Order: sequence, then C-alpha cells, then structure tokens
Amino acid sequence: MTIRTDPENNEARALSDMANFSGHHVLEIGCGDGRVTWLYADKAAHVTAIDPSASQIALAREQLPGQLQGRVEFHDIAFEDFAAASSPSAFDIVILSWSLC
Amino acid sequence: MVHALEEIRRLLKPTGILIDIHPVAESSPIEIHQGGKIDLAGDLSVRQWCTDYEQADMALSEITQRGLLAVERESVFDSLTHYDSVEELRTGLKESIDKFARDAQSADEAVPHAEALAARAEELIQAAVSGAELIVRERVHISRLKPRFPT
Repeated sequence: MTIRTDPENNEARALSDMANFSGHHVLEIGCGDGRVTWLYADKAAHVTAIDPSASQIALAREQLPGQLQGRVEFHDIAFEDFAAASSPSAFDIVILSWSLC
Repeated sequence: MVHALEEIRRLLKPTGILIDIHPVAESSPIEIHQGGKIDLAGDLSVRQWCTDYEQADMALSEITQRGLLAVERESVFDSLTHYDSVEELRTGLKESIDKFARDAQSADEAVPHAEALAARAEELIQAAVSGAELIVRERVHISRLKPRFPT
C-alpha cells in the first residue's frame, strides 16, 4: 500500500518559512507517526515529540533514522500530563502539529 | 484548547515561538488526476471535524485577544494525499474516521459519507484509462505565534 502524504513538500516549505530550527530545542505536540517530525528534526538540537497514541509512537520509534538517535525522543503521553510534569521556559519552539490537544 | 495554549506559553522560552498547523475548517475535495485533467469525485466534509477546527481557530483567537500570544506570520498551503487505488482511499478514510470520530453519532455521519465518496471515485477510476491517481486535497493553516508577557 502506497499512500503518499504531501510528496509535493508543501508542508516542509511552509514549516521552514515559519521557523529556523537550527540549534533549537523543539517540542512537537501530536506528532503521530513522526511524519512532520522528519521534516525538521535533522536541523534541531533536540526534539521531544509527544502523542497520546501508543501505537503511533511505536511506529515513529521504528522509523527513527539512526542519525537522529539521541537527538529525537518520542513519548506516548497526553499533552496535559506532559505539561504538568514539565518545567517552564523549556523550549525554543513548540509545534502544534495537526493537533487539537 | 485554551488551557493547552496557556500551558504551551508557559513551556516556551520568552524568545520562543509556537508553530500551529491545522486544517482549515472546510471540506476537502477528492480529485481524480489523469493526463493533466482533474475530475472531482466529491467533497469530504465531516461536520465534527469542521467544528473541531473552528474551535481551534476560536481558541487561538481568544488567546491572542487576551494578549498571551501574538500572531507574527501566517499562511495557508495545500496538503495532498495520494492514493494508488480506491481500496487505499477507503482504508485511509476509514482510518481517519476511526482516529477522529470521537463518538458514535459522528461516526454514523462520517462512515456512509466516506463510503459514498469512495464509490463515486471508483466509478470515475473505472471510466478512466490506466494511470489515474486519487488525491485528497486539504487546505492547511499554519501560523507562527510569539508569547507576550506583561512589562
């Protein structure tokens, strides 16, 4: 099965127009299987990507490229629980990724 | 979602930014592309999804009106999902419904609607010569917001 989402790279262009990820600590909320994460993760200093779906996070972890090991971490957790356990002023960039929290 | 945006603001450094990406609250055309020609199978329109996206827009609007975040830049782009077959489209739409239809009523609305669109797409594909491609086109809003703090 070959479903291709945004092979035109419209989203990657829109994202890079909005932010410079170089050297930044990024939180992505609603990362799903990491489809958006792969668009910018190679530029960021560190990425914390969360999604409440354990199966989607498992897929994301499976697809994590070797060169991003240690730089990208995936967590299956709801945003409200993640936020409750997080310190303030921790991130340079937060991406609300097709997510309604 | 307003509370979530307040929490996001708390997690951002004062110099940080929020990038919000979510579909525009409107229907998504299902297109058959073949040899430079585009036929429309119909519009994927699920009331609950549009309501969710409208609520996301309202939450962002409220938080900016309260002066907690400020929109620095925004734009809209098309996100195209390509399917090689009607069966893939059926499966893809079903997965979306399973993921986003949070209650039985919204699933009752979405499933027959998606099935009717897939059937129409199948008619068009069968009428086309080989090489036709099925595409769902979604309009997506992206915005960059900066946290604001009282001086």
